[in-house]
Amino acid sequence: MFMPLLSAQTMPILSIDWTLVIQLCNTFILFLLLKKFLFKPVKAMIDAREAEVTGLYADANNAKEEALRMKEEYTQSLAGAKEEAGQIVKDACQKAQRRSDEIVLEAQNKASAMLSKAEAEIAQEKKKAFNEIKDEISDIAIMIAAKVVEKDIDQKDHEKLIEEFIDGVGEASWKA
Amino acid sequence: MEISGPEIIFTLPVLGGIPITETVVNSWIVMAFLVIASIFLTRNLQKIPKGVQVLVEKGVSMLYQLVEDTMGKDKIFFAPYIGTLFLFSLCSNLCGLFGLRPPTADLNTTACWALIMFLCIQFFSVQRHGLKARVKSFFEPVPIMFPMNLMGEFSTPVSMSFRHYGNIFSGVIISTLMGGAFAGLTALVFNGLQIPILGIGIPAVLSVYFDLFTGFIQAYIISMLSMVFIANAMD
Repeated sequence: MFMPLLSAQTMPILSIDWTLVIQLCNTFILFLLLKKFLFKPVKAMIDAREAEVTGLYADANNAKEEALRMKEEYTQSLAGAKEEAGQIVKDACQKAQRRSDEIVLEAQNKASAMLSKAEAEIAQEKKKAFNEIKDEISDIAIMIAAKVVEKDIDQKDHEKLIEEFIDGVGEASWKA
Repeated sequence: MEISGPEIIFTLPVLGGIPITETVVNSWIVMAFLVIASIFLTRNLQKIPKGVQVLVEKGVSMLYQLVEDTMGKDKIFFAPYIGTLFLFSLCSNLCGLFGLRPPTADLNTTACWALIMFLCIQFFSVQRHGLKARVKSFFEPVPIMFPMNLMGEFSTPVSMSFRHYGNIFSGVIISTLMGGAFAGLTALVFNGLQIPILGIGIPAVLSVYFDLFTGFIQAYIISMLSMVFIANAMD
């Protein structure tokens, strides 16, 4: 240890003096300076960041909610579209079924109409043929009768008679 | 070498001479260090912190958290003062490590902080509860307790200032004693050697306790007690 060159004047070990007042001022000054240069700016920075982070989290939550909502919407509209597609297919099937039924029915109608027409034609032809045969028979009968009696029979007189006969025969035999 | 009070560095020639002691000059050194360090550490604060800014922010938010936990959210405005008190006390206590006489080894310094606490207690409790309730609180729970309450009110800052001062000053005394002891021991062991080589290293170990440990503890205690006493008076 080096002894001081000049024996310095010292204060008592335990005393309250002017130093207390000076230290009060010093503490107050240091308080103001540290508040200005350390606590305020750092605290402001921390608070600003905290506010920003809170804001970011709020934004993120909003975005998430929005996304969920949109997903829900899409799911719903997708389900709706599926249902619609099913409906369309079902409608088309029904329509096709109806159409095919109509076609079959129409064909059946047409066929039965054709059948009845054909039947009517046949009946007409039959009648026509019957009449023709009747005429021919009457002619033949007159001819035969003329040949048999060898005399001129008045065709008009006897034609009626023969026709009556043939009608009587025809009624029994043709309509059997 | 002797154990003495703080040296008088110079005397201000006003009011019959105000002595400016080692305590005051060392306080100025500590204050300058704290203010320059603060300006340096906070000169380029970034939104996204890195490096030392992380530590500074951690420290400041710990301080605010501690004040909020100890005193309550409504007294958070004490945080800058408590922080100042803690840093001033801590750096003053650690002065001894750099060969400066700690400003806290002077009763004036610790008494000044105790006085501030005392004034805060009186002012804020009257502000919160009114003068009538404050006076009434001295006569509770029974009027006979008035002298005890009054004594308790004044003994709080006195005990606080003496505790801090005593702890740090005892460190100074022990350091001084150890310096002398090791010098004497060296001279004894090495036959009159005037260089105290036994004083190398060993005092450093003891200094960890007497300067570092005590320094931190006392800074923490005075900040904690200030918070607790002020908060108690206000609640």
